[in-house]
Amino acid sequence: MADILTSVFRTFMSQTDVNKDVTMDPHSACSALLPGDSSVSSSVLLLGDSSISRSLLLLSAVMAASELGVRVVFFTQTQIQSLPVSLQKCVPSPESLKKIKFSYPRTLGDLLQQVAGLHESQNTSPTPPSLIIVDRLEGFLGRETTQRSPSSAPCRLIASFRSDVDSEHAGGESSATDPILDVLDRYFQMRCTLDRDRSYEAAAAGLKELWNVYLSATGITEDACPKEREDRPAAAPKEWQLSISPDGSMEFKMA
Amino acid sequence: MRSFLPAVAEQLFRDIQKAYQETSQIPDDLLIALKFVFGPCALQALDLVDQHSVTCLSSPSGRKAFQVIGGSGRLYTCFVSCHYCPCPAFAYTVLRRNEGPLCKHILAVYLCQAMAVTQQESVSDPQMSTLLSGTAPL
Repeated sequence: MADILTSVFRTFMSQTDVNKDVTMDPHSACSALLPGDSSVSSSVLLLGDSSISRSLLLLSAVMAASELGVRVVFFTQTQIQSLPVSLQKCVPSPESLKKIKFSYPRTLGDLLQQVAGLHESQNTSPTPPSLIIVDRLEGFLGRETTQRSPSSAPCRLIASFRSDVDSEHAGGESSATDPILDVLDRYFQMRCTLDRDRSYEAAAAGLKELWNVYLSATGITEDACPKEREDRPAAAPKEWQLSISPDGSMEFKMA
Repeated sequence: MRSFLPAVAEQLFRDIQKAYQETSQIPDDLLIALKFVFGPCALQALDLVDQHSVTCLSSPSGRKAFQVIGGSGRLYTCFVSCHYCPCPAFAYTVLRRNEGPLCKHILAVYLCQAMAVTQQESVSDPQMSTLLSGTAPL
């Protein structure tokens, strides 16, 4: 579950952590994620600050395209101006970037039409996409509460969402009261929450911004795939810490 | 249909499938169980099954969707990969109030699948896109 996000965290892990734990080789993390293996198909809702979640989405897209070699469709309403700093340091090959298709639907109707048309032959050459990313779902939903999830195994889906309730109570835990989020949770197996760390430790880190990253399963997954989780040799870590340097580069650490 | 139902509901559909294969009817105890698990929409869904209201549409690309003719004659498209029905009852009872797992249309789809009485129809890929995007004229 949340395999692509987890491999992003591992790949951009701080060097000190990598030395401590040799099993955290990003390539071994990725080799478990063969495309077409339906047991890993999952949908994740990424909650939190829009600018950071967009960087994470872009890292996920590039990871999926370059490491897994799968086709990615990235839906966003706003043009991508630049790649995240972390990517500029290890520039992905142009070949792998070609596997990512950026699409700029303006309205919910446009998005629905484009997602619904993904199975048509002109969009599936040479293969259908294996990862669908939707940046800032809230921008498409507006006040409407109807949302149709485009997920279909074995394609993965990652969408980012910023809740109104969340932005009012920054860092609070009141997100469950957002009625739109309640509905979205039905359609995503995992939730990934980005929460700004405002503790003393974070303040002591100086110019770096610290964020807590939590991966959690929604109720549906608990019932639907108990076997799948038992089969897994070691559960992936559920908590990570993200530090963002003043230059924007991101580094993850297991919490 | 990929299931997001509680285990009790899934077992119930398996029992119905087995009983219907053997006897071509659903025994009373399973009907009572259906009413117990799904409440008032059980009877309405059985009505829809009797009226052959459920059609499974497939396109050459391998996509599938279900269409259910509602009580008022309106056509509702229900998806295979997730529980969603555009009917008002689903928006209100399921999504807003969280009072039940599904509406009578989705329940009718499950029942038709268990009883193997779903009508089959082929559509083209572009037609399927229109259906999936929810822009099809109703």
